[in-house]
Amino acid sequence: MHPVLVYFVRDMRRWVRGRLNVYSTLIMPAAWLIFVGLALPTRFTDHYLDFIAPGILVLTMLSAGMQGGSSLIFDKILGFFNKFLALPSPREAILFGKILFITVRGLLQATVIMLLAVLLGATIFTPAMILFAYLVLVLFGVLLSAFSTAVALYVQDHDSYAAVNAVLSMPLFFTSSALMPYDVMPAWLATIARVNPVSFAIDLIRSFAAPPVAWTSLLGLVVIACLMVAVSSFLFRRVTV
Amino acid sequence: MIEAAGLTKRYGGLLAVDGLDLEVDHEVFGLLGPNGSGKTTTVLMFTTLLRPTAGTARVSGHDVLREAARVRERISYVPQDMAVDIKLTGRENVAFYAALYGVRSRDRVDEVLGVMDLAERADDRAGEYSGGMRRRLELAQALVHEPEVLFLDEPTIGLDVAGRRAIWTHITDLRRRGMTVFVTTHYMDEADRACDRVGIIAKGRLVAVDTPAALRHRLDGERITVRVDRPVTPFPVDGARLVVEETDHLVFHADDAAEAVPTVLAGLAAQGVRVRGLEVEAPTLDDVFLALAGRQDEGGAFDDRRFRTMLRRR
Repeated sequence: MHPVLVYFVRDMRRWVRGRLNVYSTLIMPAAWLIFVGLALPTRFTDHYLDFIAPGILVLTMLSAGMQGGSSLIFDKILGFFNKFLALPSPREAILFGKILFITVRGLLQATVIMLLAVLLGATIFTPAMILFAYLVLVLFGVLLSAFSTAVALYVQDHDSYAAVNAVLSMPLFFTSSALMPYDVMPAWLATIARVNPVSFAIDLIRSFAAPPVAWTSLLGLVVIACLMVAVSSFLFRRVTV
Repeated sequence: MIEAAGLTKRYGGLLAVDGLDLEVDHEVFGLLGPNGSGKTTTVLMFTTLLRPTAGTARVSGHDVLREAARVRERISYVPQDMAVDIKLTGRENVAFYAALYGVRSRDRVDEVLGVMDLAERADDRAGEYSGGMRRRLELAQALVHEPEVLFLDEPTIGLDVAGRRAIWTHITDLRRRGMTVFVTTHYMDEADRACDRVGIIAKGRLVAVDTPAALRHRLDGERITVRVDRPVTPFPVDGARLVVEETDHLVFHADDAAEAVPTVLAGLAAQGVRVRGLEVEAPTLDDVFLALAGRQDEGGAFDDRRFRTMLRRR
């Protein structure tokens, strides 16, 4: 088995066997979908659930991805990471294992959210749409997990990591196009939202439901993801304890 | 198997390891030193996890800087943290490392679990293991690819007496099979019993390297205390030195007490002195350690920031 898969299987087993984690990671996005998607009295769209479902999908991946670095933090604190670094398998395998694990975990959560959205009455999820949403979420997940795992490499304890995560996650979400379209945003917010990578992912999924598809956003996402993976690989290769 | 020349690690103003010269062959080598003396830093450089500031180190014939991958294939490193995946079974824990080392045979996993006396509990989750079993599980993980050199950082820390004894028995068994074991420890008595040679490190400097017995002899040798019934006129004894002379007892220092005792007794008998008691105390490795490495840190203020730096970098 390839080292990347070996690391991935280890993390998956650990996650699945800690059952509470599995349930808890689903509650937050589900709450968003139900309480915000169904309850908010919006006027700019007659089907707010269809509008916000892509936003919640991306939020799910955003929180899964940003929180994912804590997996490496625990490996560091508990002494696993030092053992891994002394192994002959390439060090990037540790990084790619984490990227795979965090992204797959996010996709599983996103799947549950999609099912829930359909049950609640969302109409946009055609089979082609589902495939396209997965593609975007994979790209976005790789981008985020490469970033958060690299951050975890340089942060010493879990509290600091949680602080970094909190400072980045919420603003990224609220300054994106998740909750409202650009034309109802204040001008300053629209300016930020247009360059926010979180908006790229959301706009992409929405544009697939209402073409033309925003291919430039896709290109932007691919470029940022590649860049992030390249930088993280470089950092992992030269890491010392 | 391990050769270091002028090996040095500097963290800013802190000289963690200072010009370490060392050669370790097929043996159990113990590195002893107080907290923060540079033990773990030394191990981290040997295991390619830390770049030396200066000097060179070769492990299993390969340079730790230029041939790090080669070194990693031939060694195993067990840090002191006791890191086993408690949600995985013992077998899964070992199979994980087997896969990463490219060991294909499933039998090998069972074999090392058997060697470490874990075969019966192999399918239980490691979370149900005792501390000693977890440490043995870590050893099983470390042995799965048959390394040439095994690095153990404080392998018996936090274990009970039986657990410690089991670990040391396994370590000496490994040496018998031709493995080189490099171990750091705080426990002098354990190092004394199990290590072929020990090195004492203090403030990053290697202050002594020798067999435990030879190190013990470096002190004033053994103490012979003789209780007598009346004052004695001092007399010369071959191979022993009179250091304390009281009305009711005498103390001699001897390199080899076993040989000196008869001479002492004969000398006393010649004076017609009745011996009421006799005691021989061997200096322990603790005494040697304190003499060479101890009491040097007393007096200076506890530097909190430096302490944390060292903990972090360990």
